[in-house]
Amino acid sequence: MPRVLSIWLPQLPLDRLVRKGDPRIDGAFATIVEDKNAWRITHTNAISKKAGIESGQSLADARAICPDLLTEPCDAVREEALLRTLWRWADVLSPQVALDTPDGLILNIDGCAHLFGGEEAMADYTITKLNDLRITSRIGIADTKLAARGLARFGAKSVNIAQNGQTVETVAKLPIAALGLSHAITTDLARTGITYIGQLNKQKSSELSRRFGLELTKTMSAISGQTPDPIIREIPDSVYAARMTLPDPIGLLEDIDQVLSRLASHVCNKLKNDNKGARQFNFTVRCVDTGDHTMTIGFAQPCLDSQSVIRQFNFPLSKLKIDYGADWFRLSAHYIEHIQFKQISMGERSSYNDNRYKIIDIIGNRVGFDRVRVFKPHDSFLPEYGYQQVEAAKQPELEWTNGERLRPIRLFNPPEYAKVETAGRPPKRFVWRDITFDTKITKGPERLTPRWFKDKDLRTRDYWIVQTEQGQRLWLLTYPGVSKKEWYVAGDFG
Amino acid sequence: MQNHIQIAGKPEVFAKVNALRKGLMTCINYTKLMVSHVEIAKGLRLRCGRIHEVIGPGADMFAVLASAKRETDIIWIGLPQAIQTLCATGLEKYVSPDRFILVETVSRSEALWSAEHALRASGGYTVVVNLPNALTLEESRRFQLAAEKGGGIGLIPVQGTVKTSAAQTRWFCRPLADKTNAWEWTCIKGKNGEMGTWHVENQGGVNAASVVHLATATSA
Repeated sequence: MPRVLSIWLPQLPLDRLVRKGDPRIDGAFATIVEDKNAWRITHTNAISKKAGIESGQSLADARAICPDLLTEPCDAVREEALLRTLWRWADVLSPQVALDTPDGLILNIDGCAHLFGGEEAMADYTITKLNDLRITSRIGIADTKLAARGLARFGAKSVNIAQNGQTVETVAKLPIAALGLSHAITTDLARTGITYIGQLNKQKSSELSRRFGLELTKTMSAISGQTPDPIIREIPDSVYAARMTLPDPIGLLEDIDQVLSRLASHVCNKLKNDNKGARQFNFTVRCVDTGDHTMTIGFAQPCLDSQSVIRQFNFPLSKLKIDYGADWFRLSAHYIEHIQFKQISMGERSSYNDNRYKIIDIIGNRVGFDRVRVFKPHDSFLPEYGYQQVEAAKQPELEWTNGERLRPIRLFNPPEYAKVETAGRPPKRFVWRDITFDTKITKGPERLTPRWFKDKDLRTRDYWIVQTEQGQRLWLLTYPGVSKKEWYVAGDFG
Repeated sequence: MQNHIQIAGKPEVFAKVNALRKGLMTCINYTKLMVSHVEIAKGLRLRCGRIHEVIGPGADMFAVLASAKRETDIIWIGLPQAIQTLCATGLEKYVSPDRFILVETVSRSEALWSAEHALRASGGYTVVVNLPNALTLEESRRFQLAAEKGGGIGLIPVQGTVKTSAAQTRWFCRPLADKTNAWEWTCIKGKNGEMGTWHVENQGGVNAASVVHLATATSA
């Protein structure tokens, strides 16, 4: 039989505020949560409990009972973060730790207890350590997960241990609620007069399942260990970050480069060991006088090469102003992605892509990634919507398919006004950008109608390809059906 | 650039063949990169690892046709107006638009910085820099040193008047009126003395991406 230790943190939201040093905790205080348009009490501290406030009460009732009551809404995200931190901390007790959200941890302590001097000593150690962290806890130890969980929550003392092989007997004294069944079954059982788990043991399981469903019998066999209910160990999400604190502040760029290169090699090694790469790195420099300065660099492709990280930080570091030195540094990796290692020497495509990403990184980190772009095909017959310029870092590879229509290499959007000197269709002589052009050969018109469902400008357009005497081939545009005949240059064929 | 070789049949056999082919293609391409000239037309060669200035109304087209002859990516750098007007659906006739990396800079100094890094990069890129004013001697010298290191080619279409610069060649380009898709390219400065005028014509049909057939009509 495995041995299971369950830690219950009954006052996690309050403990979080205690740890933060919230002064309101000293008086009557409770945390609240909004449930079906009503604020209800969830956790209460000792003073408010004495005043008669219970969890589940509505806030209005609680205020009527205790006018001095101060409250704070629960913050589920921060509470989970605290629980996850404790989950990582629980590594000191056992290698197999599972989360029991929202307010507990479950540990497999097979072969661990003797390291602390027995199960009781281990439980005491855990409670003391958590107390040091200013977190209230209750502990149950049993042969099965459900039994340990029930003992932690419904046991009489703060440490409840069911000796090896005596789980069923110990659990028998606990109320039905310790099984953690759905509300309907619990009330149903209470209606038949069953309030303790021990009373269930005397009943035939076939009758129980007929009356209350299979959920009850399944739970009963899991709590007694007849069916396996393993602890599924989860691995805490790795933090890819490193920091360095120095006894004396440093201010020279070369010294900071040294610090950065040590941090970068540490973070990148960690990434490499996990086959991961990061698309963003943050470097925080804490100056003794001006506080934190955070610099950010990005990559077009998940990166784990410490040299490129250092290289990309060169520019933001050179702009950093340090007067009195900095003594705290932290490098963290974000947007972690799994990467597949590939051979770099063989295969021309991969080395070509590597080079391409490298130059996108270098330029993107300086001028901004939104300004390094590639062409993306777009299906539209209107010239200005026939393609898009999109961020190169986000869409590194795009296959281009050629279109049918003849388009200029420079497209002016909006089109540039051309002054007509000698009228015609298209004009025989016109002035564009202070240069006079004489029309020689024309081809057109190509008539395009706007997208009436989308565009604001609903004029029909006529495009003409005009070969001028001066040599340039221009794309002239006019709007037919408009009383004022005006001509525009929409593009240049080069 | 994209050698996607697909052969139907047993994958494990053809994986080996593919690997061999890829290796061979890599060798071929490296030798191509090492060739220090790019021949745009018969007798019209641009030296790699150098920068070349282009002026005149057909300057953009010179850059497009020259980069079409190379196999590396094209990094086109310029101020917002120069980059936003580039039309992929028009360029596709000469160069496949997925070879372009566009860099839009807010200032001239940013453009110069980006261009220098692009020229120095190991990819051997074709770097086109649209600048409103001509390069100074110092700026062009820096470009030149970067291009020598990277092995790419720098093409600089310049608006307005040019100044003394460290560019290998300088070209005056204008489209010809009597033919469509024809240009007159005049080398008005050549460090090695290879001056002359070329009449070039794009005989490649529509959709002939990255393949340009040019005929030399006259050369002086």
